[in-house]
Amino acid sequence: MHRVLGGLLMGTLAAVSAVGCVSRGPRGESGPLRISEVERQGDGARRASTRLVLSGLDFDVESESGRALSEYERAIQIDPTNPFAYLAVARFYADLFLPGRSLEYLDQAELLLESQGLSSPRVEAHLAGLRGLAHLATGRFREAETLLGRARKLAPSVWSDARLSPDELR
Amino acid sequence: MLTAFLGGFITGSWVVGLDRIVTARFDGQRFRVPSRVFAAPAILYPGLDWKLIELRETMQRLGYREAPGTRDLPPGQYVWGPSRVRVHLRAFEHPSRREPSRDVVLRLKGGLIDEIRELPSGIELGAVLLEPEQLGAYYGPEHQQRQLVTLDDVPRHLVDAILAVEDQRFETHPGVDLQRIGGAALANLRAGSIRQGGSTLTQQLVKNFFLTPERTVWRKAQEAVMALLVELRYDKRSILQSYLNEIYLGQRGATAVHGVGEAARLYFGKTAINLSVAESALIAAIIQSPNGLSPYRDLERAVRRRNLVLDLMRNQGRIGDKTHSRARTASLRVATVTPDADDARYFLDLVRRRLPEIYDLKALRSDGLRIYSTLDRRLQRIAGIALREGLARLEARNPALKTDDPSRQLQGCIIAMRPQTGEILAMVGGRDYGVSQFDRCTQARRQVGSVFKPFVYIAALEPTGGAPAITLASFLDDSPLEIATPSGPWRPKNYDGEFHGIVSVREALERSLNVATARLADRVKAVRIAEVARRLGITSPLPLVPSLALGSADLSPIEIMRAYATIASGGIRPESQIIEDLVDAQGKTLERRRLRFKRVLDPGTAYLVTSLLAGVAERGTAAGVRSTGLRGPIAAKTGTTDGERDLWFVGFTPELVAVVWVGFDEPRSVGVPSSVGALPIWRRFVREATGGEIRGKFLPPPGIEQVEIDPMTGALALAGCAERRTEYFIRGTLPVEVCPRGFSGAVEGDSPGTRSEFFEWLRKRL
Repeated sequence: MHRVLGGLLMGTLAAVSAVGCVSRGPRGESGPLRISEVERQGDGARRASTRLVLSGLDFDVESESGRALSEYERAIQIDPTNPFAYLAVARFYADLFLPGRSLEYLDQAELLLESQGLSSPRVEAHLAGLRGLAHLATGRFREAETLLGRARKLAPSVWSDARLSPDELR
Repeated sequence: MLTAFLGGFITGSWVVGLDRIVTARFDGQRFRVPSRVFAAPAILYPGLDWKLIELRETMQRLGYREAPGTRDLPPGQYVWGPSRVRVHLRAFEHPSRREPSRDVVLRLKGGLIDEIRELPSGIELGAVLLEPEQLGAYYGPEHQQRQLVTLDDVPRHLVDAILAVEDQRFETHPGVDLQRIGGAALANLRAGSIRQGGSTLTQQLVKNFFLTPERTVWRKAQEAVMALLVELRYDKRSILQSYLNEIYLGQRGATAVHGVGEAARLYFGKTAINLSVAESALIAAIIQSPNGLSPYRDLERAVRRRNLVLDLMRNQGRIGDKTHSRARTASLRVATVTPDADDARYFLDLVRRRLPEIYDLKALRSDGLRIYSTLDRRLQRIAGIALREGLARLEARNPALKTDDPSRQLQGCIIAMRPQTGEILAMVGGRDYGVSQFDRCTQARRQVGSVFKPFVYIAALEPTGGAPAITLASFLDDSPLEIATPSGPWRPKNYDGEFHGIVSVREALERSLNVATARLADRVKAVRIAEVARRLGITSPLPLVPSLALGSADLSPIEIMRAYATIASGGIRPESQIIEDLVDAQGKTLERRRLRFKRVLDPGTAYLVTSLLAGVAERGTAAGVRSTGLRGPIAAKTGTTDGERDLWFVGFTPELVAVVWVGFDEPRSVGVPSSVGALPIWRRFVREATGGEIRGKFLPPPGIEQVEIDPMTGALALAGCAERRTEYFIRGTLPVEVCPRGFSGAVEGDSPGTRSEFFEWLRKRL
């Protein structure tokens, strides 16, 4: 009986949580993080760096991958501690099915987000999702499923198709 | 008839053979396009300190010229106003992008760029790039100093001076000047020995390219035929340009100076285009005997020879009387032989050594590659000045360090990296590349001393499947120690010769106490310490002996930098990067930079060690870094080996890690500790690199708990605890004892003897 009740409760919570996630606007403060939201944060170097990340994402949207990568690299050159620059590159490599490279940048992004107090469920969705994609590409399906499930749960509007487009990160 | 036929056939075959040599080797050597290496491009953006990055000087170095007015500003010109700079940026190609020519206005507010807008649209721009500066070019495998020039890069009077004295009929002869040969033969007959040569520029060039300097009739014949062939195949302009770049013009240490571009830099400290008539005449004058006629050897003799060239120039109508007399009376001011502040040749050598890993070295020498490097031109200049002036100051302080033999002088190196990406930003491998090309940053392995100690503390702080050996609240025992080794008992001593009893972990590292660290290492074991060092990026052999903990291993500065970069970046080890992009002559990208990272250390442990090293810079042996007002987060470690033979200083900020080494190539005492010998070089470099205000913070990652402890006991400080300080712990490792009623009891070693000693020490303090 208890088990049934517990299951019902959990299911309800999950449903509420999922509905809550879907109902929140993607650009709202509680939706998945978009880098444009942090464009004006930080000192001059951080702001300039983030603007280059956004410019890189614009090139990414246009499938100008060389130019996009160049913008991300310059963003890192200006501010090597900008986690969003590493996050954008991790996404870039995930799109190219280069899971090893994606994971390296993801590690760096995660560490910088954490140490700068910028971690939140809003960005965690992207970290989990991108990590899940990397695992998927390397055949670690169980881990991939768990992580992508987590990403879907945290940001269904973005991660329901198991992909993070440059526009969605922008 | 047959003899004539055979003779003709043999001669013909010989000439054809020589022609093949000329075309194959002359084409390969003379007309190859050198590979050029560029620095990282400077990026301008709102918020950037334009004074710090020396914007005006950078633009001038890139050839931007100040325009008188802002109307119709062409690309490559700028107008500098009190609160705004208008600059028409040139278009340039970069491997991954094409930067268009842009007319932009930079609004300045205080020392910062406040805003960038494009004209005429007025659109606000986030950032603009200046074209990358060329660092140098590869022209051959030898250590040759060569600043390549084209005919457009040299003044006409330099060409005139060379032609006047070396080959006045160059424009008209076919490669061999019979009139000159006749004159030289007559002069030699009169003298009874070979005193004068009759070689044309083309012959000299051929001799330099293919032949030995021996003076035999056979070799002269070969030279003459090859010169004729060169003239048949190539135009005068190409031959002259080749000569200007090839001619030997002296020696600087072990390095041969070739070409007028390099000679202009060496003798007059300027580019060839800026040479005066008198200076050009001097360069032409010394071609005959670059070392014998060197102004550094005999100034008067050099001036006499220069004036002879000026006389020839006037007599041949190449200069007028007025110019002649002005140049003849000009005093000869040669540049002090100091290394170029912008010198990046150690770095260029490193690039060349690394390139074969990704590209064919032969092609590197001939294919006209463009190599885009990670080097920051400004930081490179600052590093060069900091090192050279720092070493000079040490010598001034202790004249016994000075030696007349440049090859035995006090040496040093400095290398800097961006820790998050592994990009090498500056590297000066020695005091003067002209004297010694041995790169002490990447090729030398020297005993590292105490800069190795943080690896011991990492091994002890790291929780690997259980509780760590120590926390930052622990105490270590700095009383006499003896460790049995196969070569006999080892008894470490402290730098001050004293023993300090029970000390906190912080105190042990801040004061760089050898005995306390050796005792901790004995507990952690050398194998584990070596494993940590390897993970952080140390690749040299590490002897598994107790003294490893105190830095008995011989390591290179670049290895040490990589290991500290791993700590600085929170435990993520970056692969060192020196090349961003490699592009062939056709513009095809052969190699794109790929940043590589690997998480090798728990971020919490990395933070604890960073915190310890920050303490070293605040209160410990590296506290001198603050003495000139450098503000912001710094973590650092000094290292002085036995007999003060090697002085090391490693320090990092959130965005920069730099290593300085000072010592002699043949180890002998420098006579001062690292804090006096190496620290000031690091401090000056970082102060000028950052403008004195270091950006960022060392932030604790999640999983680090910040609590107050009683510094006397290491116990958690509760209300009522008399003294307290903030300390950091990996979650789950907080002290179990509380103050005022308890103490941690976590004395390293934990032997009854040590424990009673600790109680006694504690009683005295309480």
